Amino acid sequence: MQGRPPRTDQGRAAALVGLGETETGKVYGRTARDFAAEAVRRAAADAGLRLADLDGLLVASGLRHDLDLTLANALGLTDLRLLSQVNAFGATAGAMVQYAAEAVLSGAAVAVACVFADAPLRPGKSTGVAYSTDRPLPPGLPGLRAAAGVFGVNTLYALAARRHMEAYGTTSEQLGAIAVQQRAWAVHNPRAQMRDPLTLADHQASRWIAEPLHLLDCCLVSNGGTAVIVTSPERAADLPAAPVYIWGYGQGHPGNRYMRGSDFGLRTGAAAAGPAALAMAGIGLDDIGMLQLYDCYTFTVLVTLEDYGFCKKGEGGDLAASGILGPGGSLPTNTGGGQLSASYLWGMTPLAEAVNQLRGRAEPERLVRDVDFAMVSGNGGILDHHSTLILSGHDRRTAGRP
Amino acid sequence: MTAPAPGPPGAPILRRTPADAPFFDAAARGELLIRGCPACAYALPMDAYACPHPEHPPGADGLGWLPASGRGTLVSWSSVHRAPHPAFAGQVPYTIALVELDEGPWLEARLVGADPAGLRAGLRLRAAFVHPADPADGESFPVFAPDHPTPDHPTPLATGDPAP
Repeated sequence: MQGRPPRTDQGRAAALVGLGETETGKVYGRTARDFAAEAVRRAAADAGLRLADLDGLLVASGLRHDLDLTLANALGLTDLRLLSQVNAFGATAGAMVQYAAEAVLSGAAVAVACVFADAPLRPGKSTGVAYSTDRPLPPGLPGLRAAAGVFGVNTLYALAARRHMEAYGTTSEQLGAIAVQQRAWAVHNPRAQMRDPLTLADHQASRWIAEPLHLLDCCLVSNGGTAVIVTSPERAADLPAAPVYIWGYGQGHPGNRYMRGSDFGLRTGAAAAGPAALAMAGIGLDDIGMLQLYDCYTFTVLVTLEDYGFCKKGEGGDLAASGILGPGGSLPTNTGGGQLSASYLWGMTPLAEAVNQLRGRAEPERLVRDVDFAMVSGNGGILDHHSTLILSGHDRRTAGRP
Repeated sequence: MTAPAPGPPGAPILRRTPADAPFFDAAARGELLIRGCPACAYALPMDAYACPHPEHPPGADGLGWLPASGRGTLVSWSSVHRAPHPAFAGQVPYTIALVELDEGPWLEARLVGADPAGLRAGLRLRAAFVHPADPADGESFPVFAPDHPTPDHPTPLATGDPAP
């Protein structure tokens, strides 16, 4: 894949021209709105744009729903032509970039900021408490699963992962291999929350959350914000920063019904979104030099690798255990440590890592060189919603031409 | 099929709504109802609002209640070690099951009377019901246990504390 020229294409690809990342992790005393405002300001400055140059804003909040359209007022943005909240759960980041790309290519807007920020962590409270809930049960039938103790995402992803294990023989050690390889990347990422090297024995010894998920199968919880600026390729050419072009995108929402014949835990929306994004980009899996995969759990990475087609269905465990995802491997994946080891910003983590890598902005130990295309995923619900982006440093208008 | 046992101590209180009163009235009798289509008797998940069958005329997709056998098979399970809600802190570790009812819909429920280490997908299961002793403690709800096929091995009844 390296050095292979991208396919010539007649199309235009929208450009990511700015990235703004706040301090992330156990950063206290700031609200989601504070983080979001800083992230947008940083992203605009990174793009060489004034805030007044923005004519679109897409806003995404975390579970606390504490960020909304009033962010535009707080930033002093006036006369916007595009302003909405976007929520596709964990698939939001990719969906926002898709909608922004479509807006700038259609002329509905010129420069659109997409921002996510969250502040669930509180001083003196454990990380797990941040997302646990003591709300009363929903009344009626929706309360049945909660009354059984099926409450929150950990228990549901545990059911999904166990089903995959039963169907295909996937093991906890194979899930652990994903955690270990991502940590090996995080060791070289100064911004990562978890940087101590990790062994498979460490993973196996970490406490159970909900079997078969150990603590080290689960993502972090983070405070912080990230924003990107999307504009047209023509506008991008006038800006100082190196653009990252959005060659393809796709979404998959399979609508698995909770009944006989369901693919729950076995196949996800990635199986539709990945091929759609690749087809739009006009490339194949062999052209992908780097993966930034949404990793709310190790299992999510494994099943996404299968659904994208990097191995046959059911062989994701073997692929993960082969070691090719980590530093020096042939399929560099989650090269900043991902949401398991770096920080959890709801799909903005893999997106920002892809942008940084394609711009060469990573420590030498973890910089992946000569990548033509990166594939970025988002996953939401219990593997219910998926978004894929194909990103490249190559301008699609001229790529492949002399 | 009923178990005269209180709900798990500290369990969040399960309340009915007018729309699902038939379900909870049946649960109190030890009977399991599921959502289904009156026109085609098609059983649907508990969160369904409409029958997707393409042959119904427009507007004829409303659902009603169907009796279920209370028997099914194990699709997946988890032993939960970290309480996902403060009310479950005294119950961990406990085991949850994803059950495929013989009629087709899936239900999540507490799994009782089984050693989690010996579980496999496909295990035959049978519903039992937890009946709170005091109506103030909420509605009856189903739990599942391994289905033993002979009268010599009756289904273990739900207990006050399903945790092993």
